[in-house]
Amino acid sequence: MGYSAARGGLDAILAAEELMRAKRDGGSSPPLGIDQVTERLNLAVDRVMGEAGLWAPRLAALALRQAEGDLIEAAHLLRAYRSTRMRLAQPVPVHADELEILRRIVPAYRVPPGPQLLGRTLDYVGRLLDTGTGPPAPANPEPPEPVAADATPNGRHPGRLLDLLRSQGLIRDRRRADDPEPHDVTKDPVRPGAPRSARLSVMARAETGALVNLWYRNILGPDGYIHEVTLGEVRHGRLPVRVVHPVTGQPVCLGEVRVTEVEAIEDLDGEREERGFFDVGYGLCLGHNERKAIAMANLDIAVERDAGRSPLEQSVLMTTDGLDASGFLEHLKLPHYVTFRSMVERKVAIRVAAERRVLESPPADSPPAEAATVPGVAR
Amino acid sequence: MTVTALAAATAAEEFGHLDEQSKREIRCALLTAVAVPGYQVPFASREMPVARGWGSGGLQVTLAVIGPQDTVKVIDQGDDAGVNAANLRRLIVASTGAAQTTDARAASIIQTRHRIPEDPLGEDQVLVLQVPVPEPLRGVERDMRELRRMHAEADYTAIWVSLYEDLVRNGLITQTTGYPVLVGGRYVMATTPIPRWDVPKLHQAEFLALFGAGREKRVYAVPPHTDVEPLAFEDVAFQVERTEGASCLLCGAVDAYLVEVPARAAWICSDTDWCERRRSAESEDGEGAREGVADA
Repeated sequence: MGYSAARGGLDAILAAEELMRAKRDGGSSPPLGIDQVTERLNLAVDRVMGEAGLWAPRLAALALRQAEGDLIEAAHLLRAYRSTRMRLAQPVPVHADELEILRRIVPAYRVPPGPQLLGRTLDYVGRLLDTGTGPPAPANPEPPEPVAADATPNGRHPGRLLDLLRSQGLIRDRRRADDPEPHDVTKDPVRPGAPRSARLSVMARAETGALVNLWYRNILGPDGYIHEVTLGEVRHGRLPVRVVHPVTGQPVCLGEVRVTEVEAIEDLDGEREERGFFDVGYGLCLGHNERKAIAMANLDIAVERDAGRSPLEQSVLMTTDGLDASGFLEHLKLPHYVTFRSMVERKVAIRVAAERRVLESPPADSPPAEAATVPGVAR
Repeated sequence: MTVTALAAATAAEEFGHLDEQSKREIRCALLTAVAVPGYQVPFASREMPVARGWGSGGLQVTLAVIGPQDTVKVIDQGDDAGVNAANLRRLIVASTGAAQTTDARAASIIQTRHRIPEDPLGEDQVLVLQVPVPEPLRGVERDMRELRRMHAEADYTAIWVSLYEDLVRNGLITQTTGYPVLVGGRYVMATTPIPRWDVPKLHQAEFLALFGAGREKRVYAVPPHTDVEPLAFEDVAFQVERTEGASCLLCGAVDAYLVEVPARAAWICSDTDWCERRRSAESEDGEGAREGVADA
């Protein structure tokens, strides 16, 4: 029976796996092509790559299809796949000024240095559900690039608002040289008291909803460690990826990634703060995900200002990973009968102990009562 | 493709799913853990084919120490047939080619959630425990910076006070599973959620116990022949779970960790294989020979 019992669990999970596969790969419609996922569901692909911390559009699309559109599940597949791969090289740092913009807005000024480039966004598209027959077949397989009025090479690499504010002496300068190598959160687990690079890395991989919730919890919820910032830069664009060539020793460009970058300008209005200055929070994540980058920039400056006085840093570092939170939440579905039996035993023991105490100190005017029978507990 | 086939395909490229660099990192952390019993060693927890909270830490530990010559047993709640145990076992076996067994005596590595087998384990065996919450002091302190200080200075006042308060309020210590222990006279350690019944098995044990917390990115260890003392008072003894009159409906065991079957108002052993062997031994014709779990 030990044999057949052990088979039981295995048979059940194999059957469950087959039910998942049959529904996903069955049905009457044609199988979902990977190019369809990368083209038609590109924001979902971007989000999965961001939360997985891995730029791999085709793999992310495979994961999304396999996960039936479950974003966390897809990010899990992608990260678990990466666990099997040897790390071949470390990229050479690139400056964010190399970002070739596809979209850039500067809410802090009407006419900032460089373009306001609306680019591709739903921000000003009315949210009206299109119940029509769907889009026409694509006439042009390559969608046109967004074109700015001054889409010159310089227009694609505008200076940033931070530089203007620096030149005006309005920004508290926190550039430092003692954290030159970014803390790799996939190699060294973080804990509170972490360098800023660790905080930024954690948030870059964090679940979008977790960051948004943590931000909003601080705006309207019980925490209140954040106030609304003014956004200095919201950018979406391409950054080159370079590694040192093993033979020539020179940096070579392997390709590019798209990122969303945000600078959040914070009014230093605390009693002990430098009231004559602004400070800046930074957000950058893989793919086009402005919600996430904005929340990240807000939380970055909030943790900086908080300086360890509240639990905010621990919340940012320890509670925003989608895989950690979802995995632990869902583990509650696992059997817990060994632990529950132990809990029941203590509940009964507490009652027995309470009754024994009553018996040991009877009131003077009443005889000791018959002990209520609580079966089955050793003293 | 099925999961079993995918895991086997991965094994063709990387023995034990993880790349060699990752396995070396985990082994380095485990060596530190063995050298400093009870101390929580941070490690670069990888994302595994199972979710965080589902044994990802135990799985990383097992895959870091296993070799193709090993025989592995995996249990959940003491049961080899538990669905999560079955899933972990097929991933381990498919990605390493190790043999599998349900017999705790025949296993060189036993990965477990919530239990230690009833069979006494020997010096050639490694017990890998899946840990959901590695921090024994979290109930009395939430701030991780303060927790580090408390462990560094062996300042365990807060947990002692909480045990005392528990005693005063309830007449006994109400901690159920995961009972805190002092390891090697130095570090207070969480005993995963194993029942108190299993805690004494860690004291001066013959076997090596490795604890893996994947989500919280910590490993720790109890090496053989190490003192593991449950936190208790001189005049209030540590109590294990015991229910008067309870015995296993199937094998009659009294001296085992029993779980309740409410529908039949009965008890059964949580360690299913141990229970089964006792029954085989009772029946005259059974030689107690065990079969391994068939591969899928």
